[in-house]
Amino acid sequence: MSRRIPWVEKYRPRKLSEVVNQEEAKKALLDWINSWEKGKPSKKAVLLAGPPGIGKTTLAYALANERGYEVLELNASDVRTGERIRQVIGSSMKMGSLFGFRGRIILFDEVDGLNVREDRGGLAAIVELIRESTWPIIMTANNPWDPKFRELREEAEVIQLKPLSVDDIVTILRRICNNEGIKCEEDALRLIAEASGGDVRAAINDLQAVAEGKRVLTKDDVAITERAHQYDMFKILDRVFHARRFDEARSVTFLPSFDWENYYPWALDNVPTVYAKSPEALSDALDNLSLSDVIRGRIMKTQGWELMPYMLELATAGIALVRNKPPLARFIRLSFPERIRLLAKTKETRQLRDALINRLRAELHASSSEVSLYYIPLLRLMASSDMFRKKLLDRLTKVLGYSLDSVEKALGIEVDRGAEGSRVEHKSAKRSGQ
Amino acid sequence: MSIAELIWVEKYRPTRIDDIIDQEEVKERIKQFIKTGNMPHLLFYGPPGVGKTTMALAIARELYGDAWRENVLELNASDERGITTIRERVKEFARTAPMGKVPFKLVILDEADNMTSDAQQALRRMMEMYANVTRFILLANYLSGIIEPIQSRCALFRFAPLPRDAVIARLREIASREGVKVTEEALEAIWEISQGDMRKAINTLQAAAATAKEITPDVVYKTVGYIEPKEIIELVNTAFSGDFVKARDKLRALMYERGASGVEILRAIQRRILSGDIQVPDEAKVEIAEAAADIDYRLTEGSDEEIQLSAFLARLMLIGKKYGLTTTTKETKAPSKKR
Repeated sequence: MSRRIPWVEKYRPRKLSEVVNQEEAKKALLDWINSWEKGKPSKKAVLLAGPPGIGKTTLAYALANERGYEVLELNASDVRTGERIRQVIGSSMKMGSLFGFRGRIILFDEVDGLNVREDRGGLAAIVELIRESTWPIIMTANNPWDPKFRELREEAEVIQLKPLSVDDIVTILRRICNNEGIKCEEDALRLIAEASGGDVRAAINDLQAVAEGKRVLTKDDVAITERAHQYDMFKILDRVFHARRFDEARSVTFLPSFDWENYYPWALDNVPTVYAKSPEALSDALDNLSLSDVIRGRIMKTQGWELMPYMLELATAGIALVRNKPPLARFIRLSFPERIRLLAKTKETRQLRDALINRLRAELHASSSEVSLYYIPLLRLMASSDMFRKKLLDRLTKVLGYSLDSVEKALGIEVDRGAEGSRVEHKSAKRSGQ
Repeated sequence: MSIAELIWVEKYRPTRIDDIIDQEEVKERIKQFIKTGNMPHLLFYGPPGVGKTTMALAIARELYGDAWRENVLELNASDERGITTIRERVKEFARTAPMGKVPFKLVILDEADNMTSDAQQALRRMMEMYANVTRFILLANYLSGIIEPIQSRCALFRFAPLPRDAVIARLREIASREGVKVTEEALEAIWEISQGDMRKAINTLQAAAATAKEITPDVVYKTVGYIEPKEIIELVNTAFSGDFVKARDKLRALMYERGASGVEILRAIQRRILSGDIQVPDEAKVEIAEAAADIDYRLTEGSDEEIQLSAFLARLMLIGKKYGLTTTTKETKAPSKKR
């Protein structure tokens, strides 16, 4: 069996004209490279900005390809200390380009991934390099407005890419399906596109996950898309649990999609089920997660980000390397964390509650966590008591300007009634139905 | 119009220094400061609910009378602990001259030990720069959370937990003013739950009053935050029996549905084990105490209570396995099904 080629690579645009719906960015990029070729660059560097997966890197390569440049790329997986950058780029600056190329473009991919601690001096070196460079420089970043880029922004022209619409993404997906000879229902593609949140890379990966090897793709095949979109965290945990060596487990923390805040609830929910057969493994894993959380707390309190590697190592390798690790199936059954689901479900209620808490914390001289810990439960009890109910609800509706329903929601009263929950849902559905 | 007047803690919060319960030495010295009009920066530290915030607010009232709000900036550092808040809000307030005839303005910074050390450094500079127009009162649970240079710029006051008789007397007074019937045993139960924490005591009293016409110990235990012994016993025995996922679900119910805090759950477990409601050999008790102390510390240092308590449950599971404590579960399961 031949190795699976990621469709993201297979269908990466090679020419600017193949890049969908970024006309303004393309024009700005062409104007800039033209100014270089005339020998009078408007700015020596450009910074392509936009959310993940909308084609920043692709655009850079397409430009280079079309105009005959060789690309020298440094991305987040390379060490990018100031010294290293000078070493790699500095020497190539003096050399001519390979035969057959017009020249070089230097690409700093994901500059916001520069690690302040490990890539010490990296940003300063890039700024210096831009000033001295004899080659065009392209950088990419998700958030160019980060204060640490101030100096960089002065040296470079910022080109903002547009987020892609659902229609744009459907167009791209359909092109791929036609090429692969898969018949796709319009609704199926639309579902994938919507779930991607404007991230083409995620959409193509999702499409490949559900469609590869099929002749026909229906909407039902895609019903798991929401899950497919979480592909990354499933894959990350899978790698962690299967890891046999420290480095292997730790390596997930270098993935661009690794979101450490999100990682904790996922790990916490899945450790008990994956290690259900071995109390020792379970206990070791949770103990290491707990130690990692202690370091996390310390980082939050002291802003001591230099502790972060310890935190991540304990949270990953600390879960992988445990006593009496039970044999694991090749495919582990992992679940979406209950807590995230709970939080998503209760979003509107939480917003109401936050407003209530904000009001109360001023009046009661307490922090918001104290209010939610001590006073909200008290108010909830009061709201169901003959002695306080009327006065309290009157007061709350007036002071906050909420309807009675919203007040009860903010207090979490419906949540407690459980059985009557459907009634409430019905009501609010009617109201928001416009 | 306010919500606070319906909340007894706020309704009965003393407004004059003399009315504050206990803390006699602190009161004497502070009254002295106010009399001479020469007050240094103050740092109050001690456990929650012993009168730190009340004292700070009472000082504000004694200094400024009814106009106290104009001359006081009250911040809670656990909500606004970043350096930006300190730089912007505190600085903006602290550097302008006070209104009217008062000699200085007041910044009350609650839970100051939750501030990042960066923010504390920024604060320290401001305490010096604006000392001629602004005084700071910092409130903290732990002195160790305050950087040394700030400690040395403040007069330190330790607030001790309140004595039993004072708390019970106050509860009795509030109950009679509100026309609520409460038994002596119930007052005793409230004391056991709250120890020297007046805020918790009054809150528990009001929660109980909202639950039943006459307050008995049973009513008290059923109310806010306090976890019934039976729930704790079930939780621990489930962990001992090795069914971690089930124990975790019980834990989540306590945390997210009942709103119990991590420390509360941990200490309740420890109490049940010492009281003998959960039978374990003495060697196991030692191991459990060690684990509990460890996790208690991690709870204050860490950021996620569920992670910490899950780790504790996992340790209980190992201890249960080691000492063969799995049999006790059946007895406690039966009554819970009847409900």
